[in-house]
Amino acid sequence: MTRILANRVRVWLLGGLMAAAFVFSAPLATTAEAQSKDPIKVGFSMALSGALAGGGQQSLVAIQLWAEDMNKKGGLLGRPVELVFYDDQTNPKNVPGIYSKLLDIDKVDLIVSGYGTNLIAPAMPIAIEREMTFMGLFGMNANAKWEYEKYFSILPAGPDPAVGFSEVWFQAVQKKFQPKTIAVIAADAEFAQNLKEGAVRNAKAFGMEIVYEENYNPKTPDFTPILRAANAKKPDAIYIASYPNGSAGLVRALAEVGTDAKAVGGGMVGLQFAGIMAGLGPMLNGIANYDFFVPEPTMNLYPGASDLIDRYQAKVKAENLKVDALGYYLVPWAYANVDILGQAVQAVGSLDQDAIADYIRDNEFTSVVGKVKFGKNGEWDRPRTLVVQYQDITNNDLSQFSKAGTRKIMLPADISTGELQPFNDLRK
Amino acid sequence: MKYLFEIVCVLLIIGIFVLTQVVGNQFYFFIGFVILQYMVLATAWNILGGYGGYVNFGSAGFLATGAYTSVALINFLDIGLVEQIIAGGAIAGLLGFVTGYLTLRLRGVYFAIATLALAIILETVVAHWDYVGGAAGTSILPKRKPELFDIMVVDRKTGIFANYKEFLFFLMGTVAIISVWIARYIENSKLGRGLNAIKDSEEAAECMGVPTLRLKLIATTISGAMMGVAGAPLASYLTFIDPLSAFNLEYAVNAIAMPMIGGTVSWMGPVIGALLLGTAQQVSSLWIQSELNLLIVGVLLVIFVIIAPEGIVGWFRKSRKGSRG
Repeated sequence: MTRILANRVRVWLLGGLMAAAFVFSAPLATTAEAQSKDPIKVGFSMALSGALAGGGQQSLVAIQLWAEDMNKKGGLLGRPVELVFYDDQTNPKNVPGIYSKLLDIDKVDLIVSGYGTNLIAPAMPIAIEREMTFMGLFGMNANAKWEYEKYFSILPAGPDPAVGFSEVWFQAVQKKFQPKTIAVIAADAEFAQNLKEGAVRNAKAFGMEIVYEENYNPKTPDFTPILRAANAKKPDAIYIASYPNGSAGLVRALAEVGTDAKAVGGGMVGLQFAGIMAGLGPMLNGIANYDFFVPEPTMNLYPGASDLIDRYQAKVKAENLKVDALGYYLVPWAYANVDILGQAVQAVGSLDQDAIADYIRDNEFTSVVGKVKFGKNGEWDRPRTLVVQYQDITNNDLSQFSKAGTRKIMLPADISTGELQPFNDLRK
Repeated sequence: MKYLFEIVCVLLIIGIFVLTQVVGNQFYFFIGFVILQYMVLATAWNILGGYGGYVNFGSAGFLATGAYTSVALINFLDIGLVEQIIAGGAIAGLLGFVTGYLTLRLRGVYFAIATLALAIILETVVAHWDYVGGAAGTSILPKRKPELFDIMVVDRKTGIFANYKEFLFFLMGTVAIISVWIARYIENSKLGRGLNAIKDSEEAAECMGVPTLRLKLIATTISGAMMGVAGAPLASYLTFIDPLSAFNLEYAVNAIAMPMIGGTVSWMGPVIGALLLGTAQQVSSLWIQSELNLLIVGVLLVIFVIIAPEGIVGWFRKSRKGSRG
């Protein structure tokens, strides 16, 4: 009797253990199953060295975070995600070979672009020839000539990016100061020239007279002569379309020469980078510039972005990565670039490129950059650029830029956290 | 056999064509195009620098002249790739002639600085020339189904080549072989011997009746034209071109490094240098680490300057002489 009871207890115990093992191991089994299957390879080139390395390196970390997230969830279509990437050295010449290797040798299943227009453009013909869905990261009008139906851009500048990018800045300035004259200063480089073209069209649309229009060589070491020449025309506002080195140089020149213009800034790339912000510190006060994501309390329309930024910053710190310490500028966008593609693959349930592209074209997505819907040429159906003004920066401490208040949002109005003030009122 | 080299050249061109028909993996055509382009560039540099002793630091300027000639003519006349190569070579050749004429009195480091300045001037001009994209650059849309003499050149089903990369690879391969043939012809001709005399001592050559002015002008023109030919298909290869990529310092550095490593005394030097360095760069960029790319050039240059100052060809010749006693 005792032996029978003992046997029954053993059977029940064994059964219970097996049931518990089954219940608790189910998610692990899914992950393990995903790991054992062939991975889905996502291929891309990235500017990890050269002029755009600052942006490229933080984009890579963001994409790696996405891959980690996907694999924790059991992968894509039940298969683990594997990233295959190469450094394009910010050199368009290297891009065709890289994408050819990705597709012909590495046999990747999905491709996304590197960072920036001139590194997206050389990859376009390969994507078109192989009929691949192609996500572009911060490409300005990259598909305008190609009109490729499977290209989708992650840049919140709207269907006409050149105009949409600066439109909101002109709206903010017009609303507050009603400027009659404007000076336009732009770098002799691809992105800045596109911005300038849009700014000139916006200035005319808002009835502003362009009293000074000048391009500068990106290697210009001293910007004070340019600023003095602009000041001589006494503009009410100064729109600047510049790259990181020029942006920093122009901010320093502004600190030295000053200006009577009420609004200064607009399209200054690089002022969003942690190193440049910390380096310039109080010299940034008063500049009204574009941005995409800032640590203001109203930015909660981007679900998960703050959490992503926290994870990015923790990873950078823990692994001592030599990349942008804050990551506000590019991390959410680089993450969304692959996230939207991943969402489409999951929804379609296959790697059929036509079906993936059709799904992306026809649906609205929610990612860490909020709601995204694509329109003509794969550009966003409406612009969502922010205008922020640098305020209350007292020193060069980097940590102040990770808190609310140093880059207050002027527009869009529904997430505004401050009011645009005249440039000189914020200079001490 | 008198025409053995020419026969080998024709066989090589046929071989390249066969490769485009047999190899299905496009990646090799991408890599091959870059290596062959460097072969043309290095061979062109060697005509003036190796045979004549005039170091040209502005190779990127001549290459970009070919590339931007193509862009301008695509925008203006929508011409095909073969016409682009001819036009690019002609304009860059003209530029070479003008450069040669303007820098006749310059030698050594002064000539090198003048050619470097030329590249910078050209880059500035292009950056302000909106018709070819200016500083912002421009996208080039290669014709989807180009035809030549009513023959479909590129088409997946009915064309000679299944895709554009095969066509580009074949053209660059043909151009590279013709360039090597030209270099070999010059090396063995009066022009080559005259340039060698100029390299040793220009005054002595002049005294011996070598028409130094004419030879230098011919050399700068041919060298410039060949660099322009190398650059003409660049826009079609990249499908996007901006001054930064067309005037990239990498071209100037490689144009010098490849003949130096291979050997400047013979037409074989630039060919060996381009094959060795070009392959090493591509392999290191895509399989090992991209930063190694330029490091490889630097390290190999230092090694060869110390161990084999006359390059691989010179080193082999010396060791062969040594073994003969």
